[in-house]
Amino acid sequence: MTLTDIAGRLMDGSEKEGASQAEAFVISTKTSSVYIDDDIPKIVDAKEETGVGLKFILGNQIGFTSSTLLSESVEDVVRRAKSMARMSSADPKFRSLPDPKKPTVPFDHFFDEQTANADSSLLIEKAMDVVKAAKSDSMSVPNGVLRASSVEFQVQNSLGVDAGSKSTMIFGFFTAKTGDADSVGEGVQRCWSRRLQDIDFPAVGEKLRNQASDVLKAKAFKENWKDAVAVLAPSEGSEMLGMLVGFCTSAENVNHRRSSWTDKVGDSIADKSLTVVDNGLSELGLLSAAVDDEGVPMQTTSIIEKGVLKSYLFDSYNAAQVDLESTGNGLRRDSRDAQGAFTSPTRCSPTTLEIPAGTKSVDEIVSEVDRGVYVEHFAWPQVDPLSGAFSNEMRNAQLIENGELTTKIRYSLLVGNLFEAIGRELMIGSDLEVNSNYAMPTIALNGIEIVGQ
Amino acid sequence: MVVNGALRTFNQASRSGTVARALVGESWGQASTTEALTDERLERLLSDATKMAKATAKYARKKIDLSGVVPIQKRVSQKVKEDPAHVPTEDKLEFVMELDKAQRVDDRIVNMNSVYMDAKRVNRLVNTVGTRLEWDELRIRSIVNPVAREGDRMQYEHDSVSGLKGFEMIRTLDASEFASKPAHGAIELLSASKAPSGNLKVVMDGDLAGVVAHEVCGHASEADEVVKGRSFLTDMVGKRVGSKLVSMVDDGTLDGKYGTIPFDSEGTPTSRTMIIDKGVYAGYLHTIETAALMGVSPTGNGRAQDYNRRVFARMTNTFFDKGDWSDEEIISDTKDGIYVVKSRSGMEDVVGGGVQVTALKGYIIKNGEMTELVRSMALTGKVLDILATVDAVGKDLSFSAGTCGKGEEDWAPVTSGGPHMRAEMIVGGG
Repeated sequence: MTLTDIAGRLMDGSEKEGASQAEAFVISTKTSSVYIDDDIPKIVDAKEETGVGLKFILGNQIGFTSSTLLSESVEDVVRRAKSMARMSSADPKFRSLPDPKKPTVPFDHFFDEQTANADSSLLIEKAMDVVKAAKSDSMSVPNGVLRASSVEFQVQNSLGVDAGSKSTMIFGFFTAKTGDADSVGEGVQRCWSRRLQDIDFPAVGEKLRNQASDVLKAKAFKENWKDAVAVLAPSEGSEMLGMLVGFCTSAENVNHRRSSWTDKVGDSIADKSLTVVDNGLSELGLLSAAVDDEGVPMQTTSIIEKGVLKSYLFDSYNAAQVDLESTGNGLRRDSRDAQGAFTSPTRCSPTTLEIPAGTKSVDEIVSEVDRGVYVEHFAWPQVDPLSGAFSNEMRNAQLIENGELTTKIRYSLLVGNLFEAIGRELMIGSDLEVNSNYAMPTIALNGIEIVGQ
Repeated sequence: MVVNGALRTFNQASRSGTVARALVGESWGQASTTEALTDERLERLLSDATKMAKATAKYARKKIDLSGVVPIQKRVSQKVKEDPAHVPTEDKLEFVMELDKAQRVDDRIVNMNSVYMDAKRVNRLVNTVGTRLEWDELRIRSIVNPVAREGDRMQYEHDSVSGLKGFEMIRTLDASEFASKPAHGAIELLSASKAPSGNLKVVMDGDLAGVVAHEVCGHASEADEVVKGRSFLTDMVGKRVGSKLVSMVDDGTLDGKYGTIPFDSEGTPTSRTMIIDKGVYAGYLHTIETAALMGVSPTGNGRAQDYNRRVFARMTNTFFDKGDWSDEEIISDTKDGIYVVKSRSGMEDVVGGGVQVTALKGYIIKNGEMTELVRSMALTGKVLDILATVDAVGKDLSFSAGTCGKGEEDWAPVTSGGPHMRAEMIVGGG
């Protein structure tokens, strides 16, 4: 049975059971993975998953259920969804599921045949390219994973939406280790792409090796620098900035008044050098698709333009509350893991957040910094999206003094407030990179504190 | 989930799958599907898994001998007083609505989030050793997360209750107190000051101590990281790693805790493992593979997120064991320091022996008394330096549940815990 057939049966069943509206989401994923363990491929796996999510609506009562259909029938799922809707209390804010609209790209626009067909032997070869480039007598690759996924989904609703999309994605995560019992250095590299052939695996291995060697040379930072500049590599800065911008522009958070940018469209919220776009049609984006996960065509939405807040991101539920159209931001899929998307209803989330590349190289940015730090890797780059506060442990970082990279440091924290930091002068690098659902370059923040032992 | 008085999501999911795993040399092949089970499909899964293992085995440097694995035939059904499947949905909805209502303690609470969830996981496992197992795991969790706002300033608090338990856990909970306390906390945080930064004397509450236990020595004690020498705790058994006041345990047998399991994902019964005994490193957490490689018995720590994921060494309920100080004694004995309360997150550093733990709030301690409330901070430092400075350990244990990822994915339900503890750490107030 095709995905369209399964969706059709769910819709027919819902109609027969008296749904005033219904939405069927059916997704099929295939993933091949290889796990590297101590320099060799250790686990190879292949997984296939098909799942359905059904929204059954009775007036303003909404029930949602999901299933892999392994141990139950389509009819069982419809009956359960109906029972959920009956038991649910009315949601006065619900208006309607979205109307059908024609997508602007074909359903397989983001699909790459070569990536979809990547089997375990090809993935082993690519993962071992990373290992070979990183490994030496004094350097090992203890951990790694490389996986290739193909994703196909179809959405139907009772207003006539019948649309889907097909895409591919690659995710890799590798660590390297060097040193001895007295001193060790670890490198961490991730790689993300829609196409396997776009990743330079030996280059990933080389970066991994260099990173681990750098950390080995690092010394505990014993000072406290205030009002410093933090130059954040794309993998780290995009995670922090993306978390803040994604949270504050989600209409779900705006409508619930937990976004700091509620009622601020048109206001200047950042330095004029900052422009951010949500691009559901990004050629680089891992969540790019012809339609979002409720069947609304994906689009490009300007969020921040030269420091001014231009728009929030809407799914159909949140858009209807303020009499606007969905911006194609009703999502269930994840940029890292293809499996399990059917288990939850859509949430209002960014697709691919892009910051256009600037003109300065990382070297040029560093040369303009009197006192600061260049951060290649945090323990976990986090920011509190309500207050903007952050305090992150730096695991691979180097001090910047008088325009030069100097001492490599460890056991230290980078502390500041991101709302305040993006309001000061920013420097944007030219090195655009994809990390998770962000396509952003190096970014330099002013007025940051570096805290050591 | 109820948000601001309205039922925002009301879900029920049914997810089933089958996985076949084959070992050749030291290489594993694994194939999984959500398709309906037929003899042909099972044969195909086994054949695919074996083929992948064989293809990978050319890289193998050794053979894993699993002949010591003991076969078990058993069916275990979790005993609960009130199975959530038989609780009227109205009772569950009423409970979540009560949580929502109890968070409305002040006009400055602008957003109330209340969650209830229960999950039943049924596992069936057979292997070539002769194991035939079926068991279930029934977990309940409830979370409240109020947000307070005053002008442009926003703060949140949170609390949760969780367990490998039935609905009786919810029936006996004081929902009003559970939900209103964090709401008052969020309001208080609106006027909290920025936390200080520097190397400070830190008194952690049990929640923070638990995250430190989990991140600091828990992940580094997972034996898959030890057999390849990645963990900074490799070859440390018998060596001093902390002050004599530090003892740490992983115990999957604790009654009703969120991380408790009857068997791990390889069919090994769960157990209690002493990780640190009075400051001396004692032992690792094993899968059947790491146990075979190190010549010890498996500890029941081979866990997989689900049928789609790999099995590797994971924690269950991990905690620092108790000492003999009262919480008040620890505070009153501290001249200058910070009392840090409620964790937000943690991240391990298995290789470098560092740690990052973030906390929601704290109180400055001056001359043995808690003074100013401070907000949001991170704690870090070198693990062995931190554990060496532990000089006071409380006599009351508390536990917090969570979902642990390893290598940034592969999520497993766990509990971490500990008593109040005092140590020196780097603090950075954000």
